[in-house]
Amino acid sequence: MAYHNQYRPPHYNSAPPDQAFLWNIFQRVDKDRSGSISDTELQQALSNGTWTPFNPVTVRSIIAMFDRDNKGGVNFNEFAGVWKYITDWQNIFRTYDRDNSGFIDKNELKQALTGFGYRLSDQFYNTLIEKFDRQRKGQVAFDDFIQCCIVLQRLTDIFRRYDTDQDGWIQVSYEQYLSMVFNIV
Amino acid sequence: MRYMTNTETDQSVFGGGTKNNPVRSPHEVPSYSEMSFYGQGYPGAGGNIPGQHPPPGNPYGGGVPQYGGSAPPGGPQYGGIPGGQYGGPYGGFGGGHGQPQSGPYGQHIGVVSDCQWFQTVDTDRSGYINLKELKQALLNSNNSAFNDETCMMMINMFDKTKTGRIDLFGFSALWQFLQQWRAIFHQFDRDRSGSINSNELHQALSQLGYNLSPQFIQNVVSRYCVRGMSNALQLDSFIQVCTQLQSMTQAFREKDAGMTGHVRMSYEDFLSCTITRLM
Repeated sequence: MAYHNQYRPPHYNSAPPDQAFLWNIFQRVDKDRSGSISDTELQQALSNGTWTPFNPVTVRSIIAMFDRDNKGGVNFNEFAGVWKYITDWQNIFRTYDRDNSGFIDKNELKQALTGFGYRLSDQFYNTLIEKFDRQRKGQVAFDDFIQCCIVLQRLTDIFRRYDTDQDGWIQVSYEQYLSMVFNIV
Repeated sequence: MRYMTNTETDQSVFGGGTKNNPVRSPHEVPSYSEMSFYGQGYPGAGGNIPGQHPPPGNPYGGGVPQYGGSAPPGGPQYGGIPGGQYGGPYGGFGGGHGQPQSGPYGQHIGVVSDCQWFQTVDTDRSGYINLKELKQALLNSNNSAFNDETCMMMINMFDKTKTGRIDLFGFSALWQFLQQWRAIFHQFDRDRSGSINSNELHQALSQLGYNLSPQFIQNVVSRYCVRGMSNALQLDSFIQVCTQLQSMTQAFREKDAGMTGHVRMSYEDFLSCTITRLM
């Protein structure tokens, strides 16, 4: 059983890009020049490698992760984190998308998550693909891959908090279960 | 069930041909709050259109919370909870309110008039409503756009084609779903603030059959309220919370075979039942 603490891609540490480069990108993404990048602005700037728009729920998750004072967007300093986060996921995605199809199929997903330390049954991978395959291709695109990993990490973190003796089992009441799922523990 | 009184149902009727339901020009995006008044052209509790009101004696009318009990065909796959009375320690959770969208009217009686709304919302004339179009069409009471999560959740619920967009029939069902949640929202928004605070949410959920602590409700509200706003839920988050609650209650119920109110589950059990039911 593997758990992760951080909502960040494991096993990857790209070098931080220099500030001038980032500032250039920030300004292009911040279309309304508000000094803060909103969900919509980030979504428009991101591509999942297909013609469909980037998963807005993934965008929301990413912004929420770096938006420290809950202003609904990220400023330049926070954007550096967003940039690194997405680039790291991109590198991971490319690593595991072995056939360069732009999608991660069930086997590739299994290799990726196993690489992160998860030990999950074959059946569970079907569940994951079924759930996160927004484009109904039997495999997941970049944005949905990130979303899948975020949800998995989040639920794993919550599970771990309840699994105090770390035996991989929990006993919870109805309301405890709801609190876990609503992410309000 | 109180929100099914005749005066309430008038609001959720698809008002084909009412004077308040004109077809708008494409650039005029209807807001949800505007739309929800189009039923007012009907005279009171007349029930002048067949099929709109529940026949006497059926479970909806009698104040018995049996919403989904006689759901019409095609309802259950939207992920609501089938009705029926549940005892057990978590009360009749969800049983009181299975599927708002399946509603008392059942069949797609409103499809013809929905068609007009469909065309107005379908701004790119593709024959399908996508996330962006849906988001543009829906407003909260404070004129904020519906959040992405709720719009996406609803698209997933009513997207029978599994293409990430909804056709006319899905749209019709979605509209009904929205109207009914809106009616509930306004019923429980007792101070008419346009939002639901934790007290109001607690009352709403109790009446819908959920037995939850005030602390839990408060945590949900602070987690789902819009940042910077007062500690209360707008319509979009209210729908999101209630739908998620139904679905997760169902997930728990499936694991709680003995109805003890406690479940023991393994890591993968937990992931699997939660991810499957996550809206």
